Amino acid sequence: MTTNYQKLKVRSTARGRITDRIAKTIFMSTAILSASFIFLIAGIVLIRGVIPFTTDNLGIGRVSLLRFLTYDVWLVGETFASNLYGVGFIIISTLFITLLSLLISFPVGVLTALFIAKIAPKPLAKILRTVVETLASIPSIVFGLFGAGVILKLVYDFSSSIGYQSKGGNSILAVVLVLALMTIPTITTISEVAIRSVDKSIEQGSLALGASKTQTNFKVVLSSAKSGIFTAAILGIGRSLGEATAVSLVAGGRRAGISFDILDTTSTLTTIMLEGLKETTGIDYDIRFSVGLVLMVVILLTNLILNAIKRKVGVVNVKE
Amino acid sequence: MSKNKKRKIKDLFLNAVTYLSSAVSLVTLLAIIIFIFGKGYKLLNFNLVVENFESQGYVADLYDTGLYCGCNPTIALSDEAFYSQKWGIALTDTLDLLGKTVVMVEYVHPDSPFKTVHDKGISGEPIPMRTDYDIIRIAFDAYPTALSRYGAEAMIDALEANNSIREIEFETEGGGIRGSIITTLILIALTLALALPIGVGAAIYLNEYAPANKITRTLRMFIETLTGVPSIIYGLMGLAIFVPLTVRLTSATGGNLISGAMTLAVILMPIIIRTTEESLKVVPDDYRQASLALGASKTQTTFHVVLPSAVPGIMTSTLLAIGRIIGESAALVFAIGTAIKDDVSLTGKSTSLAVHIWAMMTDEPANIELSATIAIIIMVIVVLLNIFIKIITSRYMQRKLGASS
Repeated sequence: MTTNYQKLKVRSTARGRITDRIAKTIFMSTAILSASFIFLIAGIVLIRGVIPFTTDNLGIGRVSLLRFLTYDVWLVGETFASNLYGVGFIIISTLFITLLSLLISFPVGVLTALFIAKIAPKPLAKILRTVVETLASIPSIVFGLFGAGVILKLVYDFSSSIGYQSKGGNSILAVVLVLALMTIPTITTISEVAIRSVDKSIEQGSLALGASKTQTNFKVVLSSAKSGIFTAAILGIGRSLGEATAVSLVAGGRRAGISFDILDTTSTLTTIMLEGLKETTGIDYDIRFSVGLVLMVVILLTNLILNAIKRKVGVVNVKE
Repeated sequence: MSKNKKRKIKDLFLNAVTYLSSAVSLVTLLAIIIFIFGKGYKLLNFNLVVENFESQGYVADLYDTGLYCGCNPTIALSDEAFYSQKWGIALTDTLDLLGKTVVMVEYVHPDSPFKTVHDKGISGEPIPMRTDYDIIRIAFDAYPTALSRYGAEAMIDALEANNSIREIEFETEGGGIRGSIITTLILIALTLALALPIGVGAAIYLNEYAPANKITRTLRMFIETLTGVPSIIYGLMGLAIFVPLTVRLTSATGGNLISGAMTLAVILMPIIIRTTEESLKVVPDDYRQASLALGASKTQTTFHVVLPSAVPGIMTSTLLAIGRIIGESAALVFAIGTAIKDDVSLTGKSTSLAVHIWAMMTDEPANIELSATIAIIIMVIVVLLNIFIKIITSRYMQRKLGASS
């Protein structure tokens, strides 16, 4: 309908036409400005991020890109006196953590969505929807505080009960739990929309063939909504990869060595950027932009790969 | 029959799993609420909002020693208070806003010699003792110094045993979050002032003017892409672009509130554009056509017909934006910094409530109590905002339904 309106030839006075043109130009420039921010962000992170690799960093020497991406020690030598940075182990631990948290948040989130949309009695569904909405709007720093105050303690007690000395609970497990709790509402909200938009006739078809309500929900509804559910997972992964402050409160900070031990301390691309923020010039400042660049590339690649998979999985009878 | 039974058991099990999954969200929310209220309620009082974070310390002595009060308190003292009749002062053991045990002045008699203490420094300014000050130590001429860690009772005993005071050290309460509250309010105002005109303008262009072609779709895609950018990356942009920009244009020397607000404005852009556009979309085309048919220009139509109908949507986006500003931490850590300040200025560093929590939690030792108290404030605001948004949306929906029927 709007297109019709936009095609309308407006007949008005000359003065009106001039104001119209000015107004249009102003509105258009705000839209172009808004759209240009993404380039500003990508551009500045790229420009600042490549500085350590392209200049000799005020005499310290060029950082080797290959070494940076593959090495398993954050920094060999003194800060501001060494170019031996590496984030290889951090990239891997970031992906590992994201995968683990998705293993928790995805099933829980999708099943919660199914429960709210199809299984729960109306009043219960309403309460739960409010609960999920509230959880979704809780700022990440509050999740971080909850992680530091509650989850760290739980992880610490758990690890000491199995005779493991963890650093006050700061561990991969704690990060995974905090991220899982944070992404569950995201996944639930989007999955619920997908589940609701499944065509009723598919459902009725399944029921008419003699399947029980539960069988229909799990086999027919969920698979019909898989495209939307997949989108939910992609957004959840994006949130996990980019989360910074909450994770930094429970990660513990790991400067060297890959560790898949879930009770061991860890670093992610975001927490390493938040460490030692005091510097404002020099290589230790610029290297944060390089880490930011790596983070952006990781997020971009993950999104591209997941979207390719999503396309392959295919859209099955989802009413838009 | 047994197959049917098996199926029923399986169905029951599957349903039970969904119940359990849903319980996770409920338990999480309850656990968060119980945790922040359990940890934070102790410090939750009005002083918190008006007090400075840094406590101001004083070292003082008495003008005139040998002048005693010997007076009885004019008000009823609490049960925990210890009163020195000689000096006319009542002290209690209490927790300060940072959760430390301190000796606090509960009452000072108007005739008490403590009313005449003055600064020991060169200024010699009089600093009359007031209630709510924390006493760190009282040193005497020929008696062991009374320290706050021995408690209020020991301090009162020491006072009673002595006739003169060599030196008294005390401090204002501290641990308040006045600075962070002001910072948060300034950030909200400044960010909205920057983001709303641009965001609403862009939404108007996209919905009212933009032709349905490839360029418009590309513009939309670029704006949408912003939502996927993690806030820490926005922080990097603020640090690399807005901080130098504001340093050049203003008296700022580093991260400041203006650079923080600019960064937040970019973060909010896609949210404001999307919410506003959604509200513009539901304005019926009849309205526009009617306005144009009456001879109004397109600009007049936009400002007098379309925008007023979109006000609820713009209000919703404003509330969403406020929620995001209050909760944002990672971007502000980079774009402003993490220095907790009491004197807030536009061109200086200071923390919003969320960054205040982060700064305290990354400090050694982490201050969970005060962080939880701030978290209570943040949560209450966020829940209130959610309720407001719900009210606006439901009213708006009702009106829309009314209009279409």
